[in-house]
Amino acid sequence: MSDIDRAIEQLRACRPIPEHEVRELCHKARELLVEEGNVVTVNAPVTICGDIHGQFHDLMELFRVGGDVPDTNYLFMGDFVDRGFYSLETFLLLLCLKVRYPDRMTLIRGNHESRQITTVYGFYDECLRKYGSANVWRYCCDVFDYLALGAIVLGASNTMPSTTASPLSRDDVEVEVHSSDGRIISRFLRHQDSSENQGRINGGPNGIPSDSSDDTPTTTAATTTSTAPTLTGPPGSGATGSSSGSLGDPAGAVLCVHGGLSPLIDKVDKIRLIDRKQEVPHEGAMCDLLWSDPDEIDGWGLSPRGAGFLFGADIVKQFNRKNNLSLIARAHQLVMEGFKEMFDASIVTVWSAPNYCYRCGNVAAMLELQEDAGGLGVLARSNGDVNRSDGGLAGGAASWGAAGQNDALLPTKRTGPGRIYHVFQAAPQDSRGMPAKKPVADYFL
Amino acid sequence: MDPPPNPPSASRPAPSSSSTAPSPPVTSSPLPPTIPSSSTSTTPLRPPSPRLTLATRTHTQPPFLIATRKLPILKAGPIEALQTRLHLPAIPEMIFGDNLVCIAHPRTGWSVSFSAEGALDTVDKTGTGEMLQVAYAREWSRSREGQQVGVEVVRRYDWSYSAVYKGDEVRAAAAGGGGGADAVAGVDRDGKGEQPGMGKGLVVDETGKTEIPIELLKRRDPILFADEVVLYESELDDNGISAVTVKLRVMQERMLLLCRLFMRLDGVLVRVRDTRVYVEFGTEEVIREYTAREDKFENVKRKLLMSGLTPDGVTVALRDSNEVAPLLPVVERTVESLCLADKS
Repeated sequence: MSDIDRAIEQLRACRPIPEHEVRELCHKARELLVEEGNVVTVNAPVTICGDIHGQFHDLMELFRVGGDVPDTNYLFMGDFVDRGFYSLETFLLLLCLKVRYPDRMTLIRGNHESRQITTVYGFYDECLRKYGSANVWRYCCDVFDYLALGAIVLGASNTMPSTTASPLSRDDVEVEVHSSDGRIISRFLRHQDSSENQGRINGGPNGIPSDSSDDTPTTTAATTTSTAPTLTGPPGSGATGSSSGSLGDPAGAVLCVHGGLSPLIDKVDKIRLIDRKQEVPHEGAMCDLLWSDPDEIDGWGLSPRGAGFLFGADIVKQFNRKNNLSLIARAHQLVMEGFKEMFDASIVTVWSAPNYCYRCGNVAAMLELQEDAGGLGVLARSNGDVNRSDGGLAGGAASWGAAGQNDALLPTKRTGPGRIYHVFQAAPQDSRGMPAKKPVADYFL
Repeated sequence: MDPPPNPPSASRPAPSSSSTAPSPPVTSSPLPPTIPSSSTSTTPLRPPSPRLTLATRTHTQPPFLIATRKLPILKAGPIEALQTRLHLPAIPEMIFGDNLVCIAHPRTGWSVSFSAEGALDTVDKTGTGEMLQVAYAREWSRSREGQQVGVEVVRRYDWSYSAVYKGDEVRAAAAGGGGGADAVAGVDRDGKGEQPGMGKGLVVDETGKTEIPIELLKRRDPILFADEVVLYESELDDNGISAVTVKLRVMQERMLLLCRLFMRLDGVLVRVRDTRVYVEFGTEEVIREYTAREDKFENVKRKLLMSGLTPDGVTVALRDSNEVAPLLPVVERTVESLCLADKS
């Protein structure tokens, strides 16, 4: 058994590895990461994950539900550390897996992978506590500087696999939500033009109807809002070749980034020009990619905090069109349901830390993109077709009212890849090796 | 020693028989209808659910009744509804909208309750007040001068969620007895305590003599019921923290509740706003004290360093409102009191 395999085994048991092994590991990881571009190209199938925040046992649960490495190809969108109690074990395990299976594991940088943030939010303290010095923290921070800023997923299928028994034609299914035991919780069809359904399909913040007053995450509504699909051809037709975004190639790729877009970046290629090997700066495109948030606004907005950008649906749609993207996947914001699609499913937030901070009670999710069986890319069928049929949609949006996403007002065709969201809960308490903390009598004044 | 959770009252819909949740044993202690459910009271789409009732713990310390409720953060739908009701452009990402703490006096119908909605309702919603900015805001915006985007600040509001929250009071029924139940079925936040003809409520103490008896609270009387309930928490986009937490402890003769806003904007400002509610069960007296403290971040940091902490220790201490609060100068303080005993 090699050193790296032994380290993986030890870390899987949530036991830190010795300091000199961390140094070695970080050195190897840097050698590997320095060869990666700012934007890593990843081929489907891939499972995309959001923030983990040191919740080691929940990461184990994620692997249990999503499949183990290297059987499953993973892409983590940053924020591995801080907040949770096991940032060290979490990050080192992911790093070991990266070194051991470089082609099956992609790590991109989150805003918490920074010296400044980790000193405030826990990772630094944790290293100090577990090693008695800040050396390990320094090794890790040096690795942070080499992490990629984004990833492009190519070759994602826009149909669901035909293996699952289903009364529906799998070709029509765009989104499926699976529970942690693999059951289909809900299912959504490809773009419908029917106005009364439009509001609904856009309205559920996650594609899940948001009316449920019972709050179990396992709502069993198979929402079938079906009328004639307006797709122009059967999925997989229009042999477009697979990958690169050549002119007119509608094979929409998926951009993965921790935070969001930047007004300085109108083409993905501009991300490639950034000199990323530094502490996350307070300014410039690199900062924006790791910090910005989508919001229900027009264009760009400045956060009332005095720093940080917000961007609206029009920005996302323009960006996706310009870059032949079918979807942007990002993390960075807590969402109770584990994922949240916005702006006609042109962008999705994925959150992978269940019961965040051990007290929020939220579920987590990961996004699985399947490989296109025919080796064809996703067909972005409606390029240039935007705003063609908005009449009915306005009505749908109005009837949906405030409870819906405003994105119904900005109709475009839904052209995303087939998306399977695996929703999972926090690991059971007894897997954590520590008793549930019962608050002691507190004579506060 | 926490008593077991009490059952839902008979007046509430019982959990359906198909529910897998174990039915709690029925005891004589009723859940008062005075417990408002913040996320349901104004939304017809969300009827009171057994879920809320089942999650509620109650404790009776005659003649008062204390209830707490802890549930997960809200889902997207309820969050939007809440945002719309509050007219806030955004709300904290960790929003425990179903959580609740309530002290009720069933005989008169008086109660004071604490909820995320009530707390957020006191936040500056239009940004007319002083707008805080993160420490590096100037650096950030300077680096972006001359960029093409004519970017404006969207959504002006107090994004630090610095609530001025003393709880939502429902005054005693005018008649002084009986009808508590129906009179206070829902907390009317806007009209709290102001309806003509309503009975007793908390009154500001002008004499300056009323104080919470700290010495009595320092005694280690056995705690019969205690809880800690988070109403909301925001990480301020990783610029610090803003959180409102309610703690309470009930002893044989008295109880203390502390509702605390802790807002730390790194490099800029630290705020602690405490509302304490003290109840003396025997005399049926209620005292509510509100204390606001704040100071510049650098001052707090200096004081912590001067107390002998290492720089690392300072970072840790800055996360703990208990460490920080005593160092902050008081900027506002009021004391109110109320006696619910029958005088006649």
